[in-house]
Order: sequence, then C-alpha cells, then structure tokens
Amino acid sequence: MWSLLGGVFLGWSLGANDAANVFGSAVSSRMIKFWAAALLAALFVLLGALSEGRAGIETLQGLTSLTLKQAVISSVAAALTVTIMTFLKLPVSTSQAVVGAILGMGFYNRELDLSGLAKVIICWFGTPIGGLIIAALLYKIMAAVYNRAGIDLFASDMLLRISLVIVGSYAAYALGANNVANVTAVFVGAGTLTVFSAALIGGLSIGLGILTGSRRVMETVGRRLVRLDPFSALVVVLAEAVTVHLYTMVGVPVSTSQALIGAVIGVGLIKGIKTVSRRTLDNILTGWFLTPVVACSIAAALYFAVNLQYVPEG
Amino acid sequence: MLGLFFKKERQLERLIYDYLENLGSIQSQFVKAMDICLEEGLCDEFCFLMEQTHKFESKADDLREEINELMYSRALIPESREDIMFLLESMDRIPGSLELILNIINTQKIIIPEFIRLDIRELIRVSMETCDLMARQVDVMLKKRVGVRSLLSNIDQNESHCDHIERRIIVKIFESDIDPFLKLQLKEMALAMGEISDEADRVSKRVNIINLKRRV
Repeated sequence: MWSLLGGVFLGWSLGANDAANVFGSAVSSRMIKFWAAALLAALFVLLGALSEGRAGIETLQGLTSLTLKQAVISSVAAALTVTIMTFLKLPVSTSQAVVGAILGMGFYNRELDLSGLAKVIICWFGTPIGGLIIAALLYKIMAAVYNRAGIDLFASDMLLRISLVIVGSYAAYALGANNVANVTAVFVGAGTLTVFSAALIGGLSIGLGILTGSRRVMETVGRRLVRLDPFSALVVVLAEAVTVHLYTMVGVPVSTSQALIGAVIGVGLIKGIKTVSRRTLDNILTGWFLTPVVACSIAAALYFAVNLQYVPEG
Repeated sequence: MLGLFFKKERQLERLIYDYLENLGSIQSQFVKAMDICLEEGLCDEFCFLMEQTHKFESKADDLREEINELMYSRALIPESREDIMFLLESMDRIPGSLELILNIINTQKIIIPEFIRLDIRELIRVSMETCDLMARQVDVMLKKRVGVRSLLSNIDQNESHCDHIERRIIVKIFESDIDPFLKLQLKEMALAMGEISDEADRVSKRVNIINLKRRV
C-alpha cells in the first residue's frame, strides 16, 4: 500500500494544479463559489476516471513492463519533476513527466514499445494544435449561433454562467478520464493494481488534490483566462475539454494546460488579438522539451542509486 | 425556466426597468414645472412640481443603490456588472441636471424673458425627446440588441440640434438689453438645459459600446 504513495502524491498535485484549467475562470471571476466548483470538479474527475480511464492506463502500462520497485521509482521521479518544474516556474505537463519517467525505466530494461511511444509523442505535438483548431472552429460556430439568437442581456448572462459550470464539469470529466493514467498506470503495469482499482485510486487522489490544494491556484492562476471575455473563456474551456476527451478516446494522456494554451491562441487568432505573450510561449516550449528529459534522467538516476551495492574490497 | 434559478438577475432586470420608468416620471414633472414657469412664472405650483421632481430624483438614487447592492451580491457576471454600473452612473446625471435647472430658477428667482421662451420650449422638447430615445435605446440594448445604432444616430442628431438652440438662446440673451446680471443668470440656466442632451448622448454612446462588446 505504501508503494502507492508516490502515485497518490502525483495525483494530488495534478488535481491541485489542473483544476484551474477547468473551473479557474468561473471561480476567479466569482461566477461560482470555490467549494461548489471544487466538489463538481472532484466528482466529475472521479466519474471520468472510472468510466473512460481504462484506455490511457492500458497505453502507459504497455510502454514497458515494470517491477513494483520501478513503478514506485517512476512515480516518485515524475512527482519530483513536477515539483522542480513548478519551482522553476515553468509550465509542466504531468503526462510528459510520467512518460519521461517510464522511458527512464524502459531504457534500463532495454524494453520499449516504440509504436506506443510514437503514438504518445505525436499526441503531445497534437495537443496544443488540436486545442487551437478546435477552439477556432467552436468559436466560429458558437459565435454565429449566439449572435443570431438575439437573446436579451440577462438571459445571455445566465446562459453563460450555466454553460461555464456545465463545460467546467465536462472538462473535469475529461481531465479525470485522460490524466488518471498518469497517476496509477505504472502500478497496473507492475501488477499491484487492477485497471479498475487504478482508476478509482487515481480519480480519488486527483479529487483530493482539487478539494484540498486547488483554491489558491483556481483563484489566482484562473485570472489569466478572465482577461478574455466570458464567451471566449467558455469556448476555451470547451475546446480544451473536447481536445483532452478526444485524446482520451485514443488512449493517450495529454496535458490539459497545453490544450488550454492552444485554445487560447486559437480564440485569439479568430478575434485578431494577441492572447498569449511571447514569453509565455517560450516558457511553454521550454517546459515541453525539458519535462520528459528531466523526468527520464531523475528516474534513471534514482534507479541507479537504489541499485547501488556495497562491495567490500579484497 | 432560467428565471427559476436566477432570481437575483430577474430582480435586477425589474429594478433597471423601474429606474427607467422613474426617469420618465422625473422628466414629466420637470416638463410640467417648466410649463408653469414659462406661463405663470414662479408660483406655488412650480414649487410643488419642483418638490415632486426632487422626490423622484431621490427615488432614482435609492433604486441605483439597490441595483448596485444586488450586483455586489453576485448577480450577473463581472463584465455585465461593470457595464450596468457605469451605465447607471452616467444615466443618473440626467435627473441631477433636471433638478439643478429647477433649483437655479427657484433660488435665483429667474423670470424667463419673452424673447427666448419659444427657444426654451423647443430646447426642453428636444432634450426630453432625446432622453426618451435614450431610455428606448437602453431597453433595446437589454432586450433585442438590434436597433441600438440607429437610435444612437437619432440621439446624436438631437444633441447637435440642442447645441444649436442653446447657442441661439445665449446669443439672443447677450444681444438683448436686459440687466447684465440677469444675462449671466439666464446663460447659466441655458447651459444647464443644454447639458441634458449632452448627458443623454454620453449614455447613448456607452450603450452602443456595451452592445458592441456583447457581439462575439
């Protein structure tokens, strides 16, 4: 049971950080109270993990075969990577950290499913691009409907608020379905957990992170999105959710933050405004390349250190 | 259906319409008071109507306070909240201007000379029409969104018409041979009257911006 702690911590930090991507705009603009948002997010994360988490778990556990010791090391390495990158204020993807750490173990084992790995890396490239394209399309369609509907100011206001809650819940569902694999897939590969128990424990730990650690992030980091008008914020969250959900169906865990940034850029392109600064883009790119490399190196170093043996001279 | 869940928003909508209705009442008391002033000069009825105008103006303040309090209690999304708040702030200057004109006439005991009465009537008529158009524009903005721009252009035309009348009145005042002190009093009153359509025009421009912002 103690061996799961690294994964549970990873799930907790994922929930604490990524909840802002689903309900940040609604909470920081006080459209919904934090506790209502946190409860909804935790509930839908768990639902998503239990109903659609299987595909991602199977993909990650299929990348390489791990022993329990390697599973623990890779989850600790991923958690350390997330902590270091957050400390360096670089945007970090838990999915990339986990895959990087699994790769580290795979190199040791000299056993890697290259076709699975290629699928994962292609999806990493596709996440921000998918977010961008989906956001641009959704914005065009939804704006045309919204402008033609001619609803009055109060009704449109209520509609936006309700939609933000519904879309936020859907995004939480997609987050749980997609990212639960990051938390516990390695333990399925090591034979410690079944797919169902991995989805349950992963979903619960992400939910716990949302309930106990996401408040500050939701109230502050979420403000980045509020600079967009409420309609654009709604499109961005919906595009992020659809993107992440599509990758869930493919069975590849991706970063909700990268999908979100892609969606923000997509809405900006349609509206003809600059929504993301050059510096933010540089940080994202740096984080994008560094995260798997750092996680892979830490996992390899940890495994090396754990396996050092004292050999007496003579 | 949505109204079941968003009572505050529906209450807010009702209060905004109460505010617009109250603005209409202030205008009608003001017009009656000015009619009396132009026909009979200062009299008890003028004072009564001035008092009535003041009461409606206070009611406008109370309504605005109530609307702001309701909005602070998380009615509407922040962006709409800010728009409505600034809109009411700019609309609220109109009742103040109407009350100020009556106060100027009453406290300075102004008797409007015959040679500018027709122009004053015309200025009041066009100014009130501008306020009515502005209230209609606010209603259109809250409800349908279509037609805000054409009302903006009508209000703009009325505002320039009022500027011309105001200038004509001031020229007539200073070309006349009345007491110079009375000239300054009348000029102050004419400027205050001209301000009504300026305020309505400012509100109209803000309404147009809010409407443009709502287009996505």
